[in-house]
Amino acid sequence: MKLKEIIKIIPFFILTGFLLFSFTESATKSPYKCMIQMKNYSGEGAYIVISLLNPEGKYEETLYVQGDDDEWYFDITEWWAFQGKKRADIDAITGATISGGERKISVIQIPDNKIDKGYKIRFESAVEDQDYHKDDVEFELTSTNVKSKIEGKGFIRYIRMMPQ
Amino acid sequence: MTISIWRYSHLTLAISSAIFILIAAITGIILAFEPISNQIKPYNYIDLETVSIAETITVLQNEYDEIVSLSIDENSFVKASVITKDGKSASFYINPKTGEKIGELIPKKTIFEFATNLHRSLFLKSTGRFLVGFFSFFLFLIAITGVILIAKRQGGFSKVFTKIIKEEVNQYYHIVFGRWFLIPIIIITLTGVCLSLEKFSLLPKDYSKHKTLNTKTTTQKLKTTDFEIFKNIKLNQVEKIEFPFSTDEEDFFFVKLVNKEIAVHQFTGQIISEKKQTLVNLLSNYSLFLHTGRGSIFWSLVLLLSCFAILFFIISGFSMTLKRRKKTDTLNNIIMKDEAEFIILIGSETGSTFKYANAIYKALIEQKKKVFIDELDNYTSYKKATNLLIFTATYGDGDAPANANLFLKKLKEHQPINNINFSVVGFGSTNYPEFCKFAILVQANLQIHENFTPILPLFKVNNQSFVDFEKWFTQLKNLYKFDIYIDESQIFNSKEKTIIKVIEKSDLNIDDTFLLKLKLKKNIKFNSGDLISITPKNEKTPRLYSIAKVDKHILLSIKKHKFGVCSTFLQQLSKENNFEATIQENKNFHFPKKAKEVILIANGTGIGPFLGMIAKNKKTKISLFWGGRTKESLKIYKPHIDKALKKGSLNSFETAFSRESDSKIYVQNVLKKYNHFISEFLKNGNTILICGSLAMQKDVELVLQEISEELLETSLEEFKQKNQIKTDCY
Repeated sequence: MKLKEIIKIIPFFILTGFLLFSFTESATKSPYKCMIQMKNYSGEGAYIVISLLNPEGKYEETLYVQGDDDEWYFDITEWWAFQGKKRADIDAITGATISGGERKISVIQIPDNKIDKGYKIRFESAVEDQDYHKDDVEFELTSTNVKSKIEGKGFIRYIRMMPQ
Repeated sequence: MTISIWRYSHLTLAISSAIFILIAAITGIILAFEPISNQIKPYNYIDLETVSIAETITVLQNEYDEIVSLSIDENSFVKASVITKDGKSASFYINPKTGEKIGELIPKKTIFEFATNLHRSLFLKSTGRFLVGFFSFFLFLIAITGVILIAKRQGGFSKVFTKIIKEEVNQYYHIVFGRWFLIPIIIITLTGVCLSLEKFSLLPKDYSKHKTLNTKTTTQKLKTTDFEIFKNIKLNQVEKIEFPFSTDEEDFFFVKLVNKEIAVHQFTGQIISEKKQTLVNLLSNYSLFLHTGRGSIFWSLVLLLSCFAILFFIISGFSMTLKRRKKTDTLNNIIMKDEAEFIILIGSETGSTFKYANAIYKALIEQKKKVFIDELDNYTSYKKATNLLIFTATYGDGDAPANANLFLKKLKEHQPINNINFSVVGFGSTNYPEFCKFAILVQANLQIHENFTPILPLFKVNNQSFVDFEKWFTQLKNLYKFDIYIDESQIFNSKEKTIIKVIEKSDLNIDDTFLLKLKLKKNIKFNSGDLISITPKNEKTPRLYSIAKVDKHILLSIKKHKFGVCSTFLQQLSKENNFEATIQENKNFHFPKKAKEVILIANGTGIGPFLGMIAKNKKTKISLFWGGRTKESLKIYKPHIDKALKKGSLNSFETAFSRESDSKIYVQNVLKKYNHFISEFLKNGNTILICGSLAMQKDVELVLQEISEELLETSLEEFKQKNQIKTDCY
């Protein structure tokens, strides 16, 4: 092959490479500040799992876990059916439990390409010896929702999201 | 009657909750180390009083993109939650002066995690929490009934903290530690109950709301670090600061201070609203602190020791109960109650009276007498009974012991069928002001009863003294013309006869006295003042000699009587000979521990046990008074005395000789000369030990009585009650 031809091909390679890269880039994530404000319940600290659900309503990814004692994870029944099998590494996205009346702010990473595509964000909550709320907070992942405040149905009073 | 309720409750509560309390105490011991191990971490070297909120915020804002919250824990560690410049949330300990990260958050150790779960819920979730709270309350009740029992025992609530008389080790320390740990245990149990109630939402709810304050509306925007309020408040006042979530005006700074909560406008720095700390809040905070000891090494250590004390109470409590049970179980009747002529009834607190009663029972059974033995509370009518022997202890300040509460009542209910001869033996300690009071009460009640006739006056046995008991027994024997003897091996713990080897024997001295040095083949503990019981061949009745312990060997000082079977037998022994004997503890005549000064008075061979006490003495100032016939009588003891005087273990030695000159001088005559010394000595609470003949004891006590009356204006009886006069005379 002549050198000239090779030089001609280079842009093609660059383009392909770029395209390939940008497809993997499809997992580009942006940080969002997320605040969970708990109701004034009494009892132990709550375990809360924030997950991303696909348009079929199936678990896609675990975004954050409040509660670091995995002994109690099976209390969060629905999610545990997913995580228990998959055992994704969640060490980096795990924090302490939140007690009644407290608020907690954490930064969660949401894939950009899942916004406005029918995906959902779900907040499950469970308190030792008390209830388990499968969808304490659940909302459509839209560009407006990620800047808003959403009321909870269980232990969570409300959550607020804000792009970082 | 009232005591039995308290005792019964104390025991029942303890038995029903023992397992739970055991688990709680053991896990409690582990958990006490958690606050200690946290506290010793070096994250609190800055004095928080010197740092204002504004200062810390300034330094943090330089380092991080955003601050989420700032909190100060019970160890004065400052924790910051921030969003880092690369958009991640992070929490760690900081130096509040510099904003530097100084350490990762302390993760709860697995062992503490495990212990905490077991401690508060037994891994049984709600059920477990309920049980733990419930038994925590039980432990509180146990502590309360315990105090009541101590009060009863010591003779009133005002005397709960007075000197405890040591009878049995378990019992003694059960009371000693009970008093020390009463307050911590009450605190632990009540806070434990409080924490449980809180978890079950049973404490009154905290309905207080933030009160909005009227503030002047200023529009002047300030930098956070310029807020007056943040500049003024120092970190030691702060528990937590939550920063506003967004730049929305509705989002405030929430500042939780030690005594209130305030909301601060995020732009103007004005206080928007505030909420005062409520009583319920305060209660639950204090409960948590007092129960866990968090933040205080001192209190954690108190909690730790309390847990150990609780373990000790469980163990010693059960061992006492078992012991009592075991002794009660030893009553094995072979004759029905309505067949028996002799009825033996026992009133016992710790079970020790049973030994004596059982010994008499066996002796009578061997004599083919029809005997029935039982506890006082089981008193009923006995068809053929003509003799009643009662052995009873006294509880505390003159109450009935555990198994004799009902006796006096039942005595009225059951009319005896025959006329009954009775004798009462009271067991107790002269250390108690109400020595044998219950026995006196029993004696009095029987005496006024028309069907009962006393055959002997009330006998009192001090500190389980076998010598006292034998006096009663001898009188009983003579009265009934029985040819019986008591096997004292049943009464004393060192049941087994031991083989004893002669290692030295002195020649017979002028007045037929000699010293015998013996070696025990087995390793048995004994002290000077204990007794050796030797039964000569073809004899049933043993003879008792006071022991001196010299260089781990037994030293006996014996007088050979012309027709004395035992002393002749001992005199005929030669070196390397073996014979059998039992050793009996005789606590009544032990050398007082930790005494500064002691007076020893003896005549003749009575000096025996004193030779051992003197040989062992290191710190006590001992004055020995001894009476003998002639100077020559002293010959066999002289080497011991001289050695002790030279070594300083004996301070002074005064002698009296009755056959040395025309004027007979006895040991009591010498004592008279020292009347001022002796009166001062007694006044200071020191102890006199007397050993020798009964005649000498009588004369010596007369002199001591005179000294007490003339110089101290009191009677010798007072010193005897205080156990300052100990005797072993024969």
